[in-house]
Amino acid sequence: MDRRPDIHLAGVAKSFAGAIRPVEAVAPVDLVLAGGQMTALVGPSGCGKSTLLRLIAGLEPPSEGRITIGTESPDELRQRAGLAVAFQDAALLPWRSVEGNIALGRALARKPRDPGMIRELMSLVGLSGFERNRPAELSGGMRQRAAIARALAGEPELLLLDEPFAAVDALTRDRLNTELPPLWEARGATSILVTHSVAEAVRLSDRILVLTPRPARIAADIPVPLPRPRGPEVLASEAFRALCTEVTDALRDHQYPESVAAQ
Amino acid sequence: MSAGRGTLRGGPAALRAQHPLPRGLGLLLVLLIWEGVARATAGSFIIAAPSQIAGYMVSHSGLLWRAFGATLASAVQGFVWGNLAGVLLALLVVLLPRGERLLSALALLVFCLPLVATGPILRVLYGPGTGPQVTLAALAVYYTTFLPVLVGLRAAPQGWFDLVRSYGRGRMTALREVRLPAALPYLVAGLQIAAPAAFLGAMVGEFTGAERGLGVLTVRALRALDLPATWAIAVIAAGVSMLAFAAVGALGRRLDLAPPEVLMAPPVARSRRPWEAPAQALLALAAALLIWKGSMEVFGLPRFFAKRPEDVWFYLVTGPGAEAQRARLFAALGETLALAGPGYLAGLGLGAGLALLLALAPRLGGAVIPLSIALRSIPIIATAPLIVWALGRGAAGTITVVAVMIFFPTLIACRHGLARTPRAVLDLFEVYASSPLRRLLGAQLPAMLPAFFASARMAIPAAILAVTTAEWLATGRGIGALMATVASTSDYGMLWSAIALVGLAAVLAHALVAALERAVLARTSAEQLAR
Repeated sequence: MDRRPDIHLAGVAKSFAGAIRPVEAVAPVDLVLAGGQMTALVGPSGCGKSTLLRLIAGLEPPSEGRITIGTESPDELRQRAGLAVAFQDAALLPWRSVEGNIALGRALARKPRDPGMIRELMSLVGLSGFERNRPAELSGGMRQRAAIARALAGEPELLLLDEPFAAVDALTRDRLNTELPPLWEARGATSILVTHSVAEAVRLSDRILVLTPRPARIAADIPVPLPRPRGPEVLASEAFRALCTEVTDALRDHQYPESVAAQ
Repeated sequence: MSAGRGTLRGGPAALRAQHPLPRGLGLLLVLLIWEGVARATAGSFIIAAPSQIAGYMVSHSGLLWRAFGATLASAVQGFVWGNLAGVLLALLVVLLPRGERLLSALALLVFCLPLVATGPILRVLYGPGTGPQVTLAALAVYYTTFLPVLVGLRAAPQGWFDLVRSYGRGRMTALREVRLPAALPYLVAGLQIAAPAAFLGAMVGEFTGAERGLGVLTVRALRALDLPATWAIAVIAAGVSMLAFAAVGALGRRLDLAPPEVLMAPPVARSRRPWEAPAQALLALAAALLIWKGSMEVFGLPRFFAKRPEDVWFYLVTGPGAEAQRARLFAALGETLALAGPGYLAGLGLGAGLALLLALAPRLGGAVIPLSIALRSIPIIATAPLIVWALGRGAAGTITVVAVMIFFPTLIACRHGLARTPRAVLDLFEVYASSPLRRLLGAQLPAMLPAFFASARMAIPAAILAVTTAEWLATGRGIGALMATVASTSDYGMLWSAIALVGLAAVLAHALVAALERAVLARTSAEQLAR
């Protein structure tokens, strides 16, 4: 099996049952995400980017269209534990230790136990010494890091990051943006990052898709040709700032839902 | 369901005992006052003095020990079986969500059956031995474990289930990794309530012709108007209940489980279509009748005492003398409802009222809450004879028994509800320097209502148990006394009719409260209504 599957979305749309009429979350979208790349989905809060991520994860069925990852459907990939999600609210189980939570990512993926690998992951995300602690004893940033370590523990082919740094303060976020990318770059997984931070998207991804507010449509498709590794010095570069401006402009042009903008 | 991850962090202080006075000093003071009051009122034969009670316990220690051992053995067996049934039923509902309403309705119906009437029937079924006591103890606990465990199995946030699903794992993994660990604190909370209830159930079982046990001694002491004996048994039953309640709570803390914050009974589900609720009710009724008849036929129970549904219909409607029998039954039921209704409302009103008062004057809480937690765990069996003895065999005694039975759980549930008022909402009222009363009405009362209604529903079986037991043991009126009389004269037609009627009345009362709950919560806390 190819470790770097492409993701194909063909006419994928999603709407939810609403009180009066269905709410359209994702408008029909056609898209190919190249294997081994990190793609960032950027858009205003509530625009449907997390919904798009959940569709690709197979956690929700699309209302229309088809998603294939390599040759499989998201469900098939999920059934053989080929993907992992780092959830927005970390979703750590409070009765398990930090180490137990991270090891759970491997157990649920039906991979053999590997305590050495779990320790290594914990030290990579800076949680050494907190093995026996419960999630409630960690800060928001530590919980997010534990959730990312759990996602990596199952060695997924497809890594889905749903605003993994949303609950993290700006300083920690900056540090994580420096320290974490080498983790998934080294593993070569295809990855998708949902974020509403422009700088984070530019810093981490190979390609940025700017989404419109509900229903989500692709407003701009911006490649990020910055060289890796992207240390803190990248933030000062001209190319970085130009890309941030481009993404910000695209976001501003599509600030409001189309129905409002048309008036 | 609004249960968040926060539920597993610091729990309400309400379940932990607080001691404003040094333990020994307070107890000594209470005993001294008790002794004084008892001596002052010695002529009226109401209160036995601690010295008399202690004297009785010493002089009859052998008898009391044997009786206590027998009751405890039945209670422990019933506790195990009843809780096992409650947990399995909750698992069944979680794994078969479509069957939830039917299973919940049947579980409620069985829980509402009056123990004082099922006792004599079980006695005939089992013959001599501990069967009825154990069964009644199990019947007294399974429902109060079923409800919180069901809530606990569902209390986990969606994200945890998404996590399991994202690895392609199914329901059984979700059950093992998420639902069962999440339900553990709820199970402990259920077991805590179950511990005194099992003791109570075992004692009721012993009323109906057991050879030994504290229930046997209670009946004997009441008949002989033996004041110190009645009090001594009540003190033992109360002490055991409080100890069991505290021991299970300590076990929960030992396991590092914070008590759950969310409602112990889930809010009622909202029907999507108007015909849904009546259709479900009819289905539950049909299922109940089917199980009633089916189990009797399968086990080949003799028609003489195991009356089928059609026998009850014949007895009450089509048979000879049906009209007179109907009149007798309904007169007794009316008499009972005239006492149970006011007691039920008084218990609920006083419980909720005191909770609100304590929200206005939090300083009082330190004195009242530990006391009510202690009193809540005392089985009604222990207090009923004493209250009726004190207040007489008229209406006041029975109404008080019912009110006391309901008052403490309601108070504690309402305190939990009040504690769940969102901090930010309270801050908002604080920012505008609103009066405490305004804050109470604007923020805290709406936050309390779901807990209030949950306890109003749970109070219905409790009220039935209290009123029928008081009537049966002490007052000699109403349907409780009727059931006692017809059980002793082997008038099984009337006994089964009474059971069916009480069960029906309980389910109707439950539906009424649930409808009221839906109507009120739709206005005040729509998010609480299960979809």
